[in-house]
Amino acid sequence: MIEAGKPIFVQIADQIENDIIDGVIKEETPVPSTNEFAAFHRINPATAGKGVNRLVEDGILYKRRGIGMFVATGARQRLIGARTEQFRANFVGPLLCEAAKLGITPEQVAGMIRIESSTERKGSNS
Amino acid sequence: MTATDFVTDTATSVHPRSAPERIWNVVRLHLVDRRTYIGIPWLIVGMAFVVTIFVAQIVGFTTGGLGTPDAIEGQRYSWAVLSPQWYLVIVGVQAISFGFPLALGFGVTRRDFYLGTALLFVLISAANALAFAVLTQIEQLTNGWWIDTYMFNALWLGLDGFWVDLFSFFVMQLLVFFIGASIATIYMRWRMPGMLVFWSSLALAVVGTVTIITFTNSWPDVGLWYGAQGIAGIFAWLLLPAAIAGFGGFLALRRATPKS
Amino acid sequence: MTDTAVRVTGLTKKFGAFTAIDDMSFTVERNKIYGLLGRNGAGKTTLMQLLSGQQFATSGSLEVFGASPVENARVLQSLCFIKESQKYPDSFRPEHVLASAPWFFANWDAALADRLVDDFRLPLMRPIKKLSRGQLSAIGVIVGLASRAPLTFFDEPYLGLDAVARQIFYDRLLEDYVEHPRTIILSTHLIDEVSNLLEHVLVIDEGRILMDQDAELLRGSASTVVGKKTDVDAFVAGRDIISRDGIGGLASVTVAGLSEAERAAARAAGLELSPVSLQQLIVQRTTSITQEPEIKTDAWSARA
Repeated sequence: MIEAGKPIFVQIADQIENDIIDGVIKEETPVPSTNEFAAFHRINPATAGKGVNRLVEDGILYKRRGIGMFVATGARQRLIGARTEQFRANFVGPLLCEAAKLGITPEQVAGMIRIESSTERKGSNS
Repeated sequence: MTATDFVTDTATSVHPRSAPERIWNVVRLHLVDRRTYIGIPWLIVGMAFVVTIFVAQIVGFTTGGLGTPDAIEGQRYSWAVLSPQWYLVIVGVQAISFGFPLALGFGVTRRDFYLGTALLFVLISAANALAFAVLTQIEQLTNGWWIDTYMFNALWLGLDGFWVDLFSFFVMQLLVFFIGASIATIYMRWRMPGMLVFWSSLALAVVGTVTIITFTNSWPDVGLWYGAQGIAGIFAWLLLPAAIAGFGGFLALRRATPKS
Repeated sequence: MTDTAVRVTGLTKKFGAFTAIDDMSFTVERNKIYGLLGRNGAGKTTLMQLLSGQQFATSGSLEVFGASPVENARVLQSLCFIKESQKYPDSFRPEHVLASAPWFFANWDAALADRLVDDFRLPLMRPIKKLSRGQLSAIGVIVGLASRAPLTFFDEPYLGLDAVARQIFYDRLLEDYVEHPRTIILSTHLIDEVSNLLEHVLVIDEGRILMDQDAELLRGSASTVVGKKTDVDAFVAGRDIISRDGIGGLASVTVAGLSEAERAAARAAGLELSPVSLQQLIVQRTTSITQEPEIKTDAWSARA
């Protein structure tokens, strides 16, 4: 839901992006209207519209006159690409930076990740 | 703009209402609760009539029988016919003290509110005058409702005929409303200081007038003048204070602000 | 037709020696929801009384839909002013208010009014004198929404309404606004509850405009930096400091306008960053001003 201290239109745009990445909203299908977003999240419709418009500017959504906003073809792939790049910049970069401080090599980090992911899988299976 | 999918735009425009329509709506606002101007006053009249029947029996007993000229004359001193007036002064006060903040909250201008309120007073006064004048006639025709009980033929009513009753009651009723309304208006505009100035200057004016008349030995002249006016004449003079209260109230209310 | 609903220039209102509104200038755009925020006694009610022609300005100019609202029937017919302290005749019942309101509001929607009466469980036939504070507020809310006036003022309309009823008010307001856009000025001190409904925020303090900002620009415009006092002081030096707090060797400072790079720098310096809600931001702005008047010349100063 909406959290305080962060522009709401950014949060709306993020949520739509997440729904596209998760496949909840398929390409070439409509997204909810600005008014539906406003009613659901109890936010100002102009603010919700700003979030939707941001995705239109990014080419993720496009407008069909008189019908509404639709997810563009290839939107999911582009979002995943962009998110992967963000992931690299926000998480992998700082991760390696901190590792270097402690004298851990990238190979050792990769090894740690492998062990961590296998225990996590076991943990979730049991 | 992101407002492209807004459906309608009706709220951005309002069809303005004409001045007569707006003023008439103020009249309707005062009358939306019918008990205030119609129900309660006539309930009071009804109760006063019941009391009058009993009082008439007492008068009849002391004057040696109802229907005698003495008994009819005795009943003339009853104020029962004016019994709703005490309540209607308060109604005049509340028309302003409650009506003004409510009307302003409804987006009414001070001018429309005052004109509507004044129109209401004129209409109610006319209706009451007609009703009381007719009841006075019926009371005469039925010899006191067939039980020799006279409530409406009292004080000055029923002496000079239907038209004088109609006119005098109208003026009296209008004066009652406007006195109540102008007191409330003075309070609305100037609050407590206004009340103090108003009541003290009124008291001063009355005492001053009485003093002057007394010291110039003019009481006999005043009595003669009063007698020469007749009922219709006296009430014609009373139109003057009613007009002053009505017009002064308008000027005062134009710059008044509702108490918050 | 312009897009401006209200234009105020140099507006001043004095009550004797007391200046309630002090040289205010701002505009209100049409069909937006404005939050008029500020502490008690800041001048919110007086400002709305001036805008609705109930009070007379001492000086300055004031236009509502292009003209002065004072005694202007055309302008006043487009307004609805719901105030917390609205008086009704002693003998009135809620039915009398709802029966007469349509005579004064051309856009009145009776079906909406009926629905709201059910929503708020308002007893129509009970004398107004015997209503609870919340039921009295419900009458105002119903009139304010069902009147659909092009410019609607709600002055602290929820006194005595419980959390459920307030949520109903916010939901119905939003629903109806979406279908019938209009200019709404909502005065409140429950900022957190309404902040997501607002498109624009006007904060007033001691009769002056303190902030006149798009609500979205305000959200996320400030951050609280927490960490060791020396680190925090080094980081915030030369920045627009909104408020400062500390305990022992720890400091917590709220600053305005951090860029993404600056945030990264703060994290790299071992500082913790937390977002500031609209309410926190306004509380800090309105308290700091009275304590440290030198902070007045900042990015959000009155005539921004």
